[in-house]
Amino acid sequence: MTLRERATALLARLVDASAAERFAISFAALLLSIAVGTIIVLVSGRVTECTTAAFVLTHPTPFGFPRLFAVGFCYDPVAVYDRLFLGALGDPLKQGWSPLSPLSGGPLNPMREGWSPLNRQMAVTLRETTVLIFTGLSVAVAFRAGVFNIGTQGQLVVGGLASALAVLWAVPLVPAGIAGTLVLVPLALVVGALFGGAYGAIPGVLKAYAEANEVITTIMLNFVATGVVGYLVLNHFKDPNSAATQTRSLPGYADFPTLLFDPRNDFSLLALVVGVLVVAGVAYLLTETSFGYDLRTSGLQPEAAEYGGVDARRTVVSSFALSGALGGIAGALYVVMILGKYQTGVPSYGFDGITVSILAGNNPLGVGFAALLFGVLKSGTVVVDFATDVPPQLVGVLRGLIILFVAMPEFFRMIGRRAESVQRRASETADRIAADGGDPDE
Amino acid sequence: MSEAVGRLRDRAAAADRRRLAGVVATLVTLAGVVVLGVVRPGSIFGDLLSILVSESTMSSALRLSVPIALAALGGIFAEKSGVINIGLEGLLIISAFVAVWMTETTGSILAGFWLGVFASSLFALLFAVVCIEFKADQIIAGLAVWLIALGLAPFASQVIYGGPNTASVGTVPTLPEVLGFLPSPEAVPQRFDAPNVGVAVVDGAVEALVGVVSRPFLFAADVLLNASLSVYLMFLMVAASWYVLYRTRFGRWVRASGENPKALDTAGVDVSRVRYGATVLSGVLSGMGGSALALGIGQFTGNGPTMVNGKGFIAIVTYLFGNYNPVGAFLSTMLFAGLDAMQVALQTGGIGLPGSLVRIIPFVTVIVVLALVGRTRIPEAAGDHYESGEDR
Repeated sequence: MTLRERATALLARLVDASAAERFAISFAALLLSIAVGTIIVLVSGRVTECTTAAFVLTHPTPFGFPRLFAVGFCYDPVAVYDRLFLGALGDPLKQGWSPLSPLSGGPLNPMREGWSPLNRQMAVTLRETTVLIFTGLSVAVAFRAGVFNIGTQGQLVVGGLASALAVLWAVPLVPAGIAGTLVLVPLALVVGALFGGAYGAIPGVLKAYAEANEVITTIMLNFVATGVVGYLVLNHFKDPNSAATQTRSLPGYADFPTLLFDPRNDFSLLALVVGVLVVAGVAYLLTETSFGYDLRTSGLQPEAAEYGGVDARRTVVSSFALSGALGGIAGALYVVMILGKYQTGVPSYGFDGITVSILAGNNPLGVGFAALLFGVLKSGTVVVDFATDVPPQLVGVLRGLIILFVAMPEFFRMIGRRAESVQRRASETADRIAADGGDPDE
Repeated sequence: MSEAVGRLRDRAAAADRRRLAGVVATLVTLAGVVVLGVVRPGSIFGDLLSILVSESTMSSALRLSVPIALAALGGIFAEKSGVINIGLEGLLIISAFVAVWMTETTGSILAGFWLGVFASSLFALLFAVVCIEFKADQIIAGLAVWLIALGLAPFASQVIYGGPNTASVGTVPTLPEVLGFLPSPEAVPQRFDAPNVGVAVVDGAVEALVGVVSRPFLFAADVLLNASLSVYLMFLMVAASWYVLYRTRFGRWVRASGENPKALDTAGVDVSRVRYGATVLSGVLSGMGGSALALGIGQFTGNGPTMVNGKGFIAIVTYLFGNYNPVGAFLSTMLFAGLDAMQVALQTGGIGLPGSLVRIIPFVTVIVVLALVGRTRIPEAAGDHYESGEDR
């Protein structure tokens, strides 16, 4: 059985599952990952050393009940998740407010006074979300076509450098100010898409015409992209005035104009709007156009698609190119909106895109929400790193766990079935008791 | 029916032809370098040739092939049984970290090595449960194993050592260090003195003859005495894997479970148990690879893609190129490790190619080899879940 057929079987299974079930599975996977993450935090809090315990596991001692046990941990899982989720939103809740005691903070309104949705950390969250929307869509498009694109990271790196160089090349040719913005930003996005798409087409061609396994080639092309781009920046395009391996800075007007948010936050609501529009566009492309139909059928039923006149090879190449183009745009956004230059050591947006897509069941609309969740996780990581001693790599572990749990829907179905049968048995027992006249002394 | 068989056979023959083309292309490239190097010793080919035949390149090629070859052997068992284990990279990462950590904790390299193997086996067991019991997609579950290890090892290192890199511990010893009676590699002479007869012509001929005949042995002795015990473990495991896979009942079950699980089930063997065994075995073998990798250097480095740096994925390509045969996988590993050793030598030798470009040579080679080999004839039922007819 080829990889493609396996992907097909997987996709068929995913499509079989109703949207509600898929959502439930993703949600359950998320909760389970957080639970396992809690255990990891507690265990590593025992392994490491500290002077005062950040978290003590014990029981309440009412009426002078003696304390039987108290275990101290160096890391506090509650604080970790509090910082991770609430910190990423800029602390919207009042100090001391909790859903268990909603009135403890005074009146019912739980929002902290002075909290504004336009705060700094929120900007970071939404800016990560914007990039993740594109990497998530990149992976999702490939998945829907029945191919695995693990190479979004490489496509992002290639697209990012290309767009930075294109803007640096074009800067002397255009006027400064808003006119420059109107030319340079679209230029960056288009060049990023072209180069990312071309780089993404390589594994597509290798798969379609040489039958090379795309999982391996895309992973290898990630290494190749990092190496070649690092070489190019270091030896040909390095900013001579900087110690870091980076290109010269792009001018300030080669950036999305900021709306509402503080311009120092490197986030533009406009970019997020573009992201949301692209989500809608990809959803439309997949469901409403003949290209999307070909792409989905060759993902679900390659034989049937070919029988129906779809050129399977061309579909593989073009879906890889589209996937790579979305990854390249993510790179362009990272360069133009966040950094304002290209610098080596790009964060792992591409790998997070895999999680985003899998969590979203490879549905473009779902990608939007999953990207927001991961934007929170990525932005919250910084807050966790700042506020607690817990290593920020924890989020990397959560990422892997989420993928693992989403990949085993059977596990959750099994639990669901068991819960159902327990419930049924309980209700049967209740019926029997009722029929018996419910003699409790029996 | 016969038409389908014929088509399958044609396809297999085409795959074989392309593999042959790949092998021939590799040999021709090597021969080209040798010829050009001999003819024009001053050129880059001359430098390449001298790097290619040096004892230090051979030594480091063997050292570098240990994690790849062992992971590839593990991958062969898993995939032959029908479970595609794409998480070999993760198994290498986790065992590399645990090996160093446990060596530091227990103070014993031996204990650290095997505890690293144990950790990797546990991960493989988890992977097996997820794939076999809960019918997860093997590719996605394998990616998850990789990503979990990629997060967990630097996380644990940060918790324990305060940074992504661990402390330094001892390394796996070489054979002369363990067996004191063996000569150290320095003690091996570069050449034997030929007996002197007194007639100039005869002496010259004898000396040349002795030189030519003894040279390979001296070369081998030097390389082997320099090699750590991990290299011997690799040799042992290659031979043992071949024997188990092709000469034992378990090996027959493993192959049947990947090719025709129904027949195996009919014969009364539990397919799931065979697959569990083979997948855990892939964890044991990869664990040896990861432990050997980290304890060969004495430290775990967890920045970026960690010290494993794609070796698990290269392992998958080597066994595809080696057609699922342990010996074939070992030979193609030597090809990749040789390339890797060469790129290290090229970088230190300062041949004028920038380091970041030389470093991608093995990855580009993987892509070229995959394109040449193309679709390999993977086991018929690999990637499928097997449902036994009985109700459970």
